Amino acid sequence: MKNRILIVDDSFYMRTMLKNMLTDAGYEVVGEAANGQQALEMAIETKPDLITLDVILPDNTGLDVLRGIRQEQPDVKVVMCSAVGQEVIVNEALESGASAYIVKPFSEEKVLEIVGNALQ
Amino acid sequence: MSNREQEYRELFMAEALEYYDAMSRHISELERNPADEEALRELFRLMHNLKSNARAMGYTSIGEAAHHMETVFGQLRDGQATFTGSMVPVLFGGIDTLGELIRAVGEEQALPDVQRLLDNLDRISRGEEPDLEGEEADDDEDVSRKLELSDLVYIQVRKLDHLMNLMGELIIDRDRILTLSREIDHPALTTAAAHFSRIAEELQYSVMDARLVGVGSLFSKFPRVVRDVASTEGKEVNLTLQGEDIQIDRNILQIITDALLHLVRNAIGHGLETAAEREAAGKPAQGQITLSAQAERDDVLVQVQDDGRGIDVASVRRKAVERGLVTRAAAAQLPDAAVRAFLFEPGFSMAKEVTEISGRGVGLDVVKLAIDSLGGQLRVDSVLGEGTTFTLVLPTSIAVKGALLFELDERSYALPLMHTDSVVSLLPDRFSVVGGVLLTRLQGENVPVVSLRELLQLEGDQVLAPARKATLHGRQDIIIVNYNNRRLGLIVDRFLRQQDIVVKAMSKPLDTIDLFGGVTLLGSGQVCLVLDVPALTRLFLAKRP
Repeated sequence: MKNRILIVDDSFYMRTMLKNMLTDAGYEVVGEAANGQQALEMAIETKPDLITLDVILPDNTGLDVLRGIRQEQPDVKVVMCSAVGQEVIVNEALESGASAYIVKPFSEEKVLEIVGNALQ
Repeated sequence: MSNREQEYRELFMAEALEYYDAMSRHISELERNPADEEALRELFRLMHNLKSNARAMGYTSIGEAAHHMETVFGQLRDGQATFTGSMVPVLFGGIDTLGELIRAVGEEQALPDVQRLLDNLDRISRGEEPDLEGEEADDDEDVSRKLELSDLVYIQVRKLDHLMNLMGELIIDRDRILTLSREIDHPALTTAAAHFSRIAEELQYSVMDARLVGVGSLFSKFPRVVRDVASTEGKEVNLTLQGEDIQIDRNILQIITDALLHLVRNAIGHGLETAAEREAAGKPAQGQITLSAQAERDDVLVQVQDDGRGIDVASVRRKAVERGLVTRAAAAQLPDAAVRAFLFEPGFSMAKEVTEISGRGVGLDVVKLAIDSLGGQLRVDSVLGEGTTFTLVLPTSIAVKGALLFELDERSYALPLMHTDSVVSLLPDRFSVVGGVLLTRLQGENVPVVSLRELLQLEGDQVLAPARKATLHGRQDIIIVNYNNRRLGLIVDRFLRQQDIVVKAMSKPLDTIDLFGGVTLLGSGQVCLVLDVPALTRLFLAKRP
């Protein structure tokens, strides 16, 4: 069974790149959300194994989304996507149940390594 | 640049220009209301995204400038500073600079120097005064500053489909107006109709063009497929892609996706031998699969080629007889190409054992059906021991088809050119009758010929009456159609002309008659039935005497 992944990022470019990396590696990308509201809805609808979650989103912060998702689906793995300078948010995310984080700009190897580890 | 790099670049540009527009809007809002929290949050988020995307693309100076801007907007958002005083022109200027940088990347020009901007932004974030000397000199530039919109538009296929349908209606009306203008024969009307016709035609091609995508967008998914299938099958395979830039209608690409997937799996599962078998046969251990596309006149040829064991025609011939698809005597006379065409018959599978990859109950007949539904052709060529090539001949566009118009019993009919081999006009002495079937010799091959009238008049369980040469009087106009490597001559009353037609689905209850692929309206307003060559060929084979 392929692991199913939901991508949450407000940049179409970033989602496309992540999706290509993950599908090329054999994961099934079950959905792409561009904001927090969509992310919460799609997480319930698609029941993914893992969510990649951007820390900065148009409607809520990634942290609010993380907590919302963990409440609904405690088993889902969440990998935070952040950029340099957001260490405070990342630490808070890890305390709130995120499995790991990736720092943008990311390399394909790094993404696959972190996602692979989180799913084990 | 690879297709994917090109795609990323286009996505980056489209989104960066969008961000730039939004940044310009939000900073103007901020000028009116320096405490506008929504605008500050958005500016921070947009800078952040632009930074991340630019760094991923390797555009360092955009990344740096956006990063410094993000820092300042972050401080403003968190209330550590206020949008006022000397920082205002620097931030406005910063967004302008980002716009210039993005445009320069888009036009592949040298990027302007951003050091001065970075220094000023650093000063602002440390709470110092920026260096504004010389800033005013930019005023001239401000006046001539252009408003830039993205050159790229994303559009739902549904909207393109709607445009295409409207265009189909328009083409039918165009033909109608041209005919009317000829009948009325008024100079002003003739000129206007001719102009309208030209514009409509140009519009038709523009709409068709807007729907085209590179086949590479589908091909690029195959390296992964091949790797997976090869490892499951325990085979060594090298995949080569060719002609990724060839353009084709997006919906056609969608429809052939499964067919192509099936052919590639088949090629690895059945076509290629194992490394050991290959080496024993004196071939390189690694098998080659080539997925290629090329444009040929109005068609697109997509080929799946392998250098595997090839198709054993003798074995297919035997199996076709076993399955009762053809008599032993007839099978012996069939050319190899016609024998290989049996592979596309429903349920005719050559796989000796069912493997995980290829033996899922779908056969080549499913591939064939998908191609038929597009009005395309599927061919297979093979040399035993050297390999097999499947060729999909696809129309570039779906809405408009080239067709041959002809008359039968004073009605007009159309046959898609895709399935028309040639038209011939023959005297009765060119025919012979074998086993009740009329035959004529064309290019060294015996081609069965049937009166289309008799074929269309068949009802229920009726079969065709044995043909008699005595019923043929004078020259016979015959259309040679080609389906699945089988040629068949159809005797009609009169050829009319060749014309582009818009095929429309038939309304009930006509849609139950599967001999017709649809209808089209002629300029005269007359309804013209479009014949379905695959169905006609099957009917002939089932009803031959």
